[in-house]
Amino acid sequence: MLLDAVRREALPDAGSAPRQAGGSASSRPPAEPAGRGIAVTVRDLHKSFDGTAVIEGLNLFLPAGGFTAVVGRSGCGKSTLLRLILGLETPTGGRIDLEGPATSPRRSEPPKRIMFQEPRLLPWARVVDNVAVGLSGLGSRAERRERALAALAEVGLGDKAGQWPATLSGGQRQRVALARALVSRPGLLALDEPLGALDALTRIGMQDLIERIWQAQGFTALLVTHDVAEAVALADRILVVEAGRIALDLRVDVPRPRRRGDPDLARLEGRILDHLLGAPQAA
Amino acid sequence: MRNAKLDRLGDTALPWLLPAALLLGWQAAVSAGLVSNRFMPAPLDVVRAGWEAGRTGELWTNLGVSTLRALAGFVIGGSIGFALGLANGLSRLSERLTDTSVQMVRNVPHLSLIPLVILWFGIGEEAKLFLVALGVFFPIYANTLHGIRSVDPGLVEMGRVYGMSRSELFARVVLPGALPSIFVGLRYGLGIMWLTLIVAETISASSGLGYMAMQAREFMLVDVVVLAILIYAALGKLADALTRQLERTCLAWNPAYRSA
Repeated sequence: MLLDAVRREALPDAGSAPRQAGGSASSRPPAEPAGRGIAVTVRDLHKSFDGTAVIEGLNLFLPAGGFTAVVGRSGCGKSTLLRLILGLETPTGGRIDLEGPATSPRRSEPPKRIMFQEPRLLPWARVVDNVAVGLSGLGSRAERRERALAALAEVGLGDKAGQWPATLSGGQRQRVALARALVSRPGLLALDEPLGALDALTRIGMQDLIERIWQAQGFTALLVTHDVAEAVALADRILVVEAGRIALDLRVDVPRPRRRGDPDLARLEGRILDHLLGAPQAA
Repeated sequence: MRNAKLDRLGDTALPWLLPAALLLGWQAAVSAGLVSNRFMPAPLDVVRAGWEAGRTGELWTNLGVSTLRALAGFVIGGSIGFALGLANGLSRLSERLTDTSVQMVRNVPHLSLIPLVILWFGIGEEAKLFLVALGVFFPIYANTLHGIRSVDPGLVEMGRVYGMSRSELFARVVLPGALPSIFVGLRYGLGIMWLTLIVAETISASSGLGYMAMQAREFMLVDVVVLAILIYAALGKLADALTRQLERTCLAWNPAYRSA
């Protein structure tokens, strides 16, 4: 049921067109509408800040449409990895290739989006205009508004369109941020501990929402989190990052919808926690 | 729950209770001869002087001239300050080039330039415009710069990741983020605008409110002097109220500025 797969050898280490390595233990894309996701190939990635290495020779392949969670102690480089993949930081060495769906022409490739730890909504824009930010440079004003309203309805906030963000609760703000991230139908959605600041019940609700939308839209999801239970509940693959490398690569084969408190999930969570707590302190 | 209407009336009237009492006391003191009306005219005398000056049109001419000067100087100094604040907030090069010089000039009290300005421009309009513009420039510049500096970098990063162009980023993230601080500069600037103009008009002018007050002093018309002072107070209050209204409209998103 749970497969360890150290993936470094499975990567194509040369060649211009990164492909999914045939037969490698890749995580299974969702059964629903695939083909929108962006595949990510990371080769021998290095990143250092002021001479301090944060990522040291990391290799990774994320298949299109998969849901991957990255966990690790704070300061292990997991957020940096996500920011590098999104292009928010430039790598010191190595390369990152993003490959959109083969069918779509180069020009109309689906965008990549990120959800931050904080909602980062524009306080001076109404909720619907905040969602429309996700469509910057796409379509006419009326079109953007219409799509933004639809995305808001999708996250259950259709009635809040005309409000200021200041009037929303923390969970509602994060849902607006989710709508903003999804309104452009991204091929890759990076989630940088987006639920860390929410209370436990709101968090579970948000997890279900994210899972549902991921299954419906088929984007590639990359979740960085320190909450192992969250990673286990959502992801079909979990990477444990330690000292700038991938220390553990686990597949989660528990069928969806997953029930909270499932013994298989609990066992997996325990195993990851054991690894994290027993592991030698990161340098 | 006694009488809501009466309560509301009381609420509105409360801030005016003290000024009204002061006025009454003042009138009573002058009427009773406790204060010589050579030094302090009775409120009714001031009202009469205002009525007189308004009837002859002298008041309106001077008020118009002063307002025009104030606004012209404000627009010139304010727009230069705003533009330089934007430039220095957005570009490191521009800031390194100009900020040190601006900070040096800022420490010179601009009213100390009056003798020099009179030498340069005489007592013409340029002198007043120059002084007002210079006085208004600094608060607007400093607060615009500070506003842009204090825009949440997380929002700017979000705008970039979400594909905003540079101009969109400026119009939708940077400028609205800087606006509360820019308004602080605006209000300071308005205060300095009146202050500078009045001092300049008092010292060197042949028209305007300050000139009217100085003329009245020559002829010992104390009531006109007091009238001029009260008009300054009213103008200052008016400018402040207008800015507050503008703030409430532009910053409606911010709970701190929402009207109760």
